[in-house]
Amino acid sequence: MNEIEIVKRAQAGDFGAFTELVNAHKDKLYAFVRKLTGDPEDTNDIVQDTFLKAIDKIDQFRGESSFGTWLTSIALNQARGMFAKRKQTDLRPLEDYLPAGATNGPNPLANASLFDWRDPLSVLEAAEINELVEEGLAGIPFKYREAFLLRYVEEMSVKEVAATIGQSEAATKSRILRARLALRDFLSRRFEGNYGEKMRRVH
Amino acid sequence: MARKCEEFIKGLADYIDGDIEPELCDEIEKHIGKCNNCRIMVDTMRQTVSLCREGKEERLPEALERKLTGMLKERWDKKFGHS
Ligand SMILES: [Zn+2]
Repeated sequence: MNEIEIVKRAQAGDFGAFTELVNAHKDKLYAFVRKLTGDPEDTNDIVQDTFLKAIDKIDQFRGESSFGTWLTSIALNQARGMFAKRKQTDLRPLEDYLPAGATNGPNPLANASLFDWRDPLSVLEAAEINELVEEGLAGIPFKYREAFLLRYVEEMSVKEVAATIGQSEAATKSRILRARLALRDFLSRRFEGNYGEKMRRVH
Repeated sequence: MARKCEEFIKGLADYIDGDIEPELCDEIEKHIGKCNNCRIMVDTMRQTVSLCREGKEERLPEALERKLTGMLKERWDKKFGHS
């Protein structure tokens, strides 16, 4: 049975059908929210509220997007509300995470870290790398992080991301790129540092 | 960094996401072949995305799943009026 039919059954009041939808999407939704918030407790709250909201609003789902995308946008709104309340959004400008001139200077590469990742990626433990990625993501201001994750983790097109976050395509593209540059630079500096230290310990 | 690299970086995002015209693409490929800095930039921009995608596999924790099962059923019955 395809998903649209399952959704229809759920909309008609079939809890078993809704449970099927929950099971099909729970892990992916959890993984996305975990990256979006960077915090396990927040993730639990948001995932829980997302599925509760999905029950409340299930009649409003019209199938314009996939059910997964619909859940993602509910979760995103929850996260936005949470971050706005805590005023955690954009306390520091993204520029703080980037080398000088990286986003607006005449030469965006002037101060970028140009360290090759081949050695650190083969030497550092996967857990250590994952931790750095998590740390880097969590450090990027929310409005850039959401655009970046929707584009590359949820694999939406730029157009879909723009519609989801309510920005123009040009602004969306710029946020995605800036997030990517900031994260790249963060990782590059940390890989260089951690790899260098590891090599010193070995030799 | 050379002027060529500066121009290159402007088209970088489109290039690594694959939506750039083929001629420009050839030019960029050629440049990367000779310029180590730009090669590193392209590689690390790609790796940034793949590291975020792969990462460790996150799954809904069992404790949350158990909690959810009851909560969702309760909410559902409230909405649809079953007992
Ligand atoms: Zn170059």
